[in-house]
Amino acid sequence: MMDMFRRAAADFVRHRFLHGTCFLTVSLAVFIVSAFGLFLVNAGELMDAWQQGVRITAYLKSDISGQQALALAGELEQKPEVASVSHVSGEEGLLWLKEQIGGQTDLLADLSENPLPDALEIRPNRGLSGADAFDALAKGLAARAEVADVEYGRNWLHRFYGVYNLFRMTAAVMAALVIVAIMFIGANTFRLILYSRQEEIEITRIIGADEAFVKYPLYLESMLLGFCGAVAGLALLYAAFLSVMPQVPPGGLLPVFQVRFLSPGWIFMILMASMFVGWVGCWFTVRRFLRI
Amino acid sequence: MTQTDPLDNRIIRFYQVSKHFGDSWALHDLSFDVETNEFLFITGPSGAGKSTLIKLLYMGERMSSGYAIVDGMNLTRMHRRQIPVLRRKIGVIFQDFKLIAHLNVFRNVALVMEAAGFKSRTEIRRRVGDLLELVGLADQAKAYPPTLSGGEKQRAAVARAMVGKPKIILADEPTASLDPDAAERVLRLLCAAHARGATVLITTHDRELISRFDTRVIRLQGGRKVADAAGNAGEVCP
Repeated sequence: MMDMFRRAAADFVRHRFLHGTCFLTVSLAVFIVSAFGLFLVNAGELMDAWQQGVRITAYLKSDISGQQALALAGELEQKPEVASVSHVSGEEGLLWLKEQIGGQTDLLADLSENPLPDALEIRPNRGLSGADAFDALAKGLAARAEVADVEYGRNWLHRFYGVYNLFRMTAAVMAALVIVAIMFIGANTFRLILYSRQEEIEITRIIGADEAFVKYPLYLESMLLGFCGAVAGLALLYAAFLSVMPQVPPGGLLPVFQVRFLSPGWIFMILMASMFVGWVGCWFTVRRFLRI
Repeated sequence: MTQTDPLDNRIIRFYQVSKHFGDSWALHDLSFDVETNEFLFITGPSGAGKSTLIKLLYMGERMSSGYAIVDGMNLTRMHRRQIPVLRRKIGVIFQDFKLIAHLNVFRNVALVMEAAGFKSRTEIRRRVGDLLELVGLADQAKAYPPTLSGGEKQRAAVARAMVGKPKIILADEPTASLDPDAAERVLRLLCAAHARGATVLITTHDRELISRFDTRVIRLQGGRKVADAAGNAGEVCP
């Protein structure tokens, strides 16, 4: 094992130009893929944050007492698709309305009595996703005897999810295309390195080296190159991220949303993928060389 | 895989071996035996099949048909994993040397022992040092192949072929690209390998060279054996 590491390290030094070229290619490839991943992750989280802002308002019938309203709120909170329920009395609703219309409170001055019914404001659970799920929850609420009407911006929600699903689908297709392209480039770069060493590999085999002696140091080199290239690519991305972040105002996109760098899980996955690409490129080429 | 008959002194057995590349036949129905520690030449014009024969012997190519045994190993149905075992019994010398350019002479020769699984650095140093001394390259151990003359490169290749103490040495036109002095020196080294017990098989189209040896000569033409003449039982090497 140590001998294999020693030979791999010596090969790195001997073929430093080739390995340097491959290292740069892999770094650039990882930078592009990771930048794309960074965009996708943050765009996805931004969409999630928007989705969390969705509320369902259930207006209660006028004959429902405050106690009955609270009992209903407690019951609804037990539902798995509901995160929380808050009771808004007609008076609180009117006060909120006055705050919203600001200087135009004269419009409400002629009201002899509060026209607003008590309402329950329902915040759906984070797991609830898709317009159909919201429709189902709203339909269930509307069917309750205590509820007069349900409001949740159905049309807006359907449009939002239309855009959201289109984004996710496009992102998935683009991610797949970018990853395939990068894998192709990466694997071919490793193949080029090996082709340039074809004669050396052939000579080593003629003098009696078995397959393990030939291929394992090459596998190790390819995986190390993949790893080092990925580390450099990610470091480059992080430097770019740090230089761009001060330009983004905190809470500029949404108050609850903050742009973040790739999680450790993502970083680990990219490192592994880069090593895998190196190994695959090497494996295909070595397999061809070892044929007789 | 290994079939050893203590009474059978034949280290190479070829029976009706043929090799074709597409529609072109490189060797056709070739049969011959070589005894252990024999020294023989394979000769013939360009395209006669000499190099193909060498390749078949070290399994650089697989035969198309026929039957062949090298030191008890059946080449006809040899598994890929067995090939390195066969090649460690054989030292091969090429006209174009086939040295690895970025390894110095010492490392080129030592690579054979490393590939064979030798772990002791001391043993590798000792044996490679002895061989470089024998071929007259002890002072050039740290030199890289591109800085060597043709003769020096071929002597390094001979050292590489001998370092694994192979039973068979195959030399494919080993003197074709050398001047007479360098060629003479390489031939003397091959004679030394023979004196140490190796079976030596040399391909050449140089009749003058062959005439200086009193040994068996197989002549190929168009992939077929056209002559197989034994020596006069005198001293093989001049």
